[in-house]
This record gives sequence, C-alpha cells and structure tokens, in this order.
Amino acid sequence: MAGLGITIRRIEESQGVARSPGTGRRMTGGYDERCAADLAGVGEGRDLSRADRAWLARVVTGAVRPNRDKPLWDLAHALAALARAGGARDGRALVSLALDPGLATPAAVEARFAGNAATDARGLVLDGGWRTGWSGLARLLALAEFVLTAEDLAQFATVTGWLDELAASPDAEGAAFLAKRLARQSAAYRNAHLPLAPLERRFRAILVFLAGRRAFGDDDILAFWREEMRGGERPGFRTVAEHFVTFEAGAHLLDGLEGLASAASLAAADGWEERLDASLADLTAAEPAEALAALLAAWPDGPKILTGAEREDLADFLRLEPFHRTRPLTTLRAASFGRVQSGIANRLRRGGGGADLAERAACTEAETYADLQARAGALAAHLARMLRIAAALAIAERDGLSPQTQAALEAAEADLRRVRRAGFEDRAALTAGFAAAASALLRLAEEAGRLERALAALDRQRPLEAAFAADRAVFAEALTAAYAGEAA
Amino acid sequence: MSDEARLLAELHAARALVRAKGPAVRPSHAALWAHAIRAPGQPVDLALERAIRSDPDTARRYRTLLGAQALAHAPLAAAASDGALLRRRVGPFELEILEGEDGAPPLLILRGAQAPMPRTIEAWLGDAAVRLDLGEPVEGAILLALDPAVPEAALLGRMLRDPACAVFLL
Repeated sequence: MAGLGITIRRIEESQGVARSPGTGRRMTGGYDERCAADLAGVGEGRDLSRADRAWLARVVTGAVRPNRDKPLWDLAHALAALARAGGARDGRALVSLALDPGLATPAAVEARFAGNAATDARGLVLDGGWRTGWSGLARLLALAEFVLTAEDLAQFATVTGWLDELAASPDAEGAAFLAKRLARQSAAYRNAHLPLAPLERRFRAILVFLAGRRAFGDDDILAFWREEMRGGERPGFRTVAEHFVTFEAGAHLLDGLEGLASAASLAAADGWEERLDASLADLTAAEPAEALAALLAAWPDGPKILTGAEREDLADFLRLEPFHRTRPLTTLRAASFGRVQSGIANRLRRGGGGADLAERAACTEAETYADLQARAGALAAHLARMLRIAAALAIAERDGLSPQTQAALEAAEADLRRVRRAGFEDRAALTAGFAAAASALLRLAEEAGRLERALAALDRQRPLEAAFAADRAVFAEALTAAYAGEAA
Repeated sequence: MSDEARLLAELHAARALVRAKGPAVRPSHAALWAHAIRAPGQPVDLALERAIRSDPDTARRYRTLLGAQALAHAPLAAAASDGALLRRRVGPFELEILEGEDGAPPLLILRGAQAPMPRTIEAWLGDAAVRLDLGEPVEGAILLALDPAVPEAALLGRMLRDPACAVFLL
C-alpha cells in the first residue's frame, strides 16, 4: 500500500497538486484553500470589481513586475500619508480605514479624503515624493485588508503593532521600514500557501519545448504532453492544456522581461501594469460577466433550465476558455481522452489497477469526436431554445410587435408547453427563475454557439472521424506506455 | 528564462484564484472590527453579538481583533488560583477588587505605571461578556464602583473574581 501512496503522490505532483504543509489538504492550481478563502473574504466584504479582485490576486501570487513588492511599498507609503493626514495616534485608526468596506471604490475614497492635508487634486501624496491616484488608493486599502486578515487573522496583532509604529513616525523612513516587513511577511505567505514551484517547472518545460516560439498550435500541446508522459511526469492532458491557456495569455509579456528589470523606467513599469492586467483580461474584460466555469458553478436554483448533467457537460467543454472558440481540437481531445486519463488517475487513487486499467489506457471507451460534436450541438440548441422561452416569458405585451416577432414568440410559447422539466409548470415562478438566470443563460448560449461553429469549421478542415481515429492511436500509445507499470 | 517561468506560474495561480469561489467568512472582519472598537453603551448589532457568543470560530476572530487593539489583555486565566480572585495583572496593569464595607459596593481599582491608561474594559467568561467605560484616572489609578444596583457593573465584579475570566483593557 505504501507503494500505491507514492504512486498517487507522483501523479498528483506531476499534475501540479501539492499538499498544504499545515493541513495536508490537496492544493491544485498553485494555491491552497486558505489563500482562496483569504482573498474571497476581502473580495466579498468590499464587493470588489472583478478587475480589482484580479489585481489583488496578482499581487498576492506575486505576478507584478519589475518588482513584486512594489504594491507593498506603495501600501506602506499610503498608510504613512493617511496616518499623517488623519493625525492617527496609533494603528487602530489605520486598521479602521483598511477594514472599512465603504472605502472600496475610487469615488468613495476621493469623497472621504479629497481636500485632506496629504492629498492633491489627483490623489494621495507623501512628502511631495511618493503619490498614488484615487483608484490606486482604493486598491491599496483592499491590499491592506488582505495583509491584516490573511491566514484567518493569524497575523492581525503583529501587523497592527507595525501600524502602531508607523503611526508614531509617519514619514518616508517609517514607510520604507514597514514596506520591508510587509515584503517579508508576504514572501512567507507565498511559501506557505502558494506552491508555485511545480507550476514553474511545468512552464519552464513548455518554454524549453517551444524553444523561443510564442505561438503554438493544437499539435504542439499534444506533442508537449506526450513528451511529459514519456519523461515519467504523467501530467493530465487537461492540466497541460490549462497551462497552455495561461501561456497564451501571458506569452506577450515574456519578451523584454529582462529588459524591464534592468531599464525599470517608470513609464515602462506603468506599461507593464496594464499588460499584466490584460493577461487576466479574459476573466475581467467582460465584467460584470463571470468566467464561464464560475457561472456554471453558481447556477441559480429554480426551474431546471439546465440539468446537472447538462451543466457538467458544458463545464467540460468550456473549462479551457477561450480554447473552445480558438482551439476546438484541443477542446475535443481534453473532453474525450482527457476524461479517459482522469478515469485512470482516479482509479489508481482509489487503489484499483489490473486489466481494467489496460483496457482504459487503450481508449476503447473514449467518446468519439463526432459524438462530442453532436452533444455540443444539442447543448447549443437547447440553450438557444431556452433563450427563446426566456424572451417569451419576459415579453407579455406583444400588440405593437411585428408579425414575425409575434410569431416567433408564439412558437416559443408552444415550445414551452412541450418542455417536461421540474419547475416549468408554474408560470410566475418560471418567469422569475428565467429572469434570475437571464444573463448567465445569454452568455452560455453565446459560448455554446461559438463552440458549435468552431467544431463545424474544424470538421471541414480536418474531418473529425479521421482526426479521432488518429488521436486515439496516439493517446492509447501514450497512456498504455505510461501506465503499463500499474496495469501489470 | 527562469523569471519567465516564474511569472507564468504566478499568473496561472492568479487566474485560478480569480476563478475560484472561496467561501467568504461571516460575519465579515469589518463588522467584527466595528463591534470591537465600539464605545461602551453604543447600540450593538444583536445578530453579531449572538454570533460571537454562540459560534466559537467567530468568538476567536473577535477576540483576536479585540486583543490586537487592547492596551493589554489576558486572554485566559491570569493566575492559577483557588477560590475567588481579588487581584490580577493584565499586562502592565494591576486590577484589584476591594470588598465594600458597611453595605458599600465593592470597588475595582486599576493601577498602571505607564500612560496611556485604558478607557474601556471588556471581560469574557464562557459566553458572557460585558464592556464598561472606565472613566478618567485619578493620580495614576482608575476607580470603578461595582454597584450591585447596576447590572453590568455587578456582572463585571462577579466575572473578574473568576480566574477563567478573559480581560481586555482598551
């Protein structure tokens, strides 16, 4: 059994799964549950915009260049300026400012502090040297809340003590000293809660594999995965695809990274801020719309517009956003063979093995691309139909509408009468349920439609039946070789 | 190259964190902090008080916030002692209860060598809590009559005599 434990650990480590040293809990994606909860506390408490949440997450993970401690330097100076302006005698007043959910937006911050001794027309100033604008200050206060409340308040007393000292000498020197302390604390936090080393290894391997190229194709992802499988790393295909999603989003940042560290002109650094934010853009640009995965996870209770199985299918197709639009072949590979591989990994985790494992590795049960395409099409059609029903429910007054529109709404009504799903009997509750789900429904219908079109285009260019047969041989070979030891 | 891989790893974790929906803590830190720094006698959020009394995790968070802003605090029994405790140290401060004679109420005396002196005392025993204004010091000592006719003062007196009582001087 000990051997099995090691096998599981090896699989998980290769998939970027680390364990939290304190709790032994599994951590995926480079962070642990504590970190997610700490960030959620600040984000929910202040009702932060997605852009501000993304900024805060970036600061916490350290994705800030040229100097990942720059936000802490800014925070220390902002607190010094606020301490001086408010005449704070101790750290308490600063804690109160940091924890005040009413100071979460630039407008609120400006309304509170404009005209204050430490400000000019654009924002906060310390000793005529350091400065930040109102939106910068609003973000820094969110960061202040994070450093105070991190690790479920484990550091609260310590940081409050530091703020006491800052309030006693709120000048540039005091700020620099606090900045150093915060930088040390945040490095320790990353060590404890952000297991980035396995991720870093994976990205280094991708960089070596691409040998300086920034552009890549579906077949590069597959070739890289096979190489990792042969090397004994055995990462999940989906996990690797997820890493390529991030690589694509961040690739444009990589050129000139070294130049930035040496040149470090302020203008260059400012440009970088924007580019780093942009690399999180597919999560933030469509604000207030959420990432598709989050949207599905938070689907409201109510009429069964989507069944659990339909939501799972959609999540499976859309989890590699934006690849369902841009790289449909990788989406199909992940949905078909990625699932086979997860099945193998799960079986090993549960302690199974033997013949069944060999059978799974041969990919005989893999869902064909044609079947997946049909399922994606059915989902898109279902969502489009639900969208028409939503319109029919929302538009009660139809006299002034064109005959075509009226006919379409009538058709949707007829459709509605044919639906046999829980919660579709009571029209008032149904109308409310559809209204609550309307924006999510619209976005999902749109994305399912884009997936359907991307798959159709792929089929024309690389017929799915042949592509599946070729891929099945490749995946079966790779999986059989990689898991042969366990299957024996 | 090594920083390229590092930046991508940091971005990957940041993106995953933005997608992750961690459960937010309730009540919020902000609400607990506002409760911790309230002036004595100020109206309180009853639901919040109930949460602090009934939920051990909320109580722990609240006491952390309270302890961090206290001039001194003794989160648990200051002294192992049998029977009623009439004198205890809380950080640099000394608290003493003088029993009243001839029907006079007991007196709480708080002495401390250092300025500033606390303005408020909050005591916790089990799930019971009381917060009182201490008034101005006179010649380096604060005197508070634990008048049995004032329920909160009487409760404070009873609690302080118990070694398990936690004391926060704010």
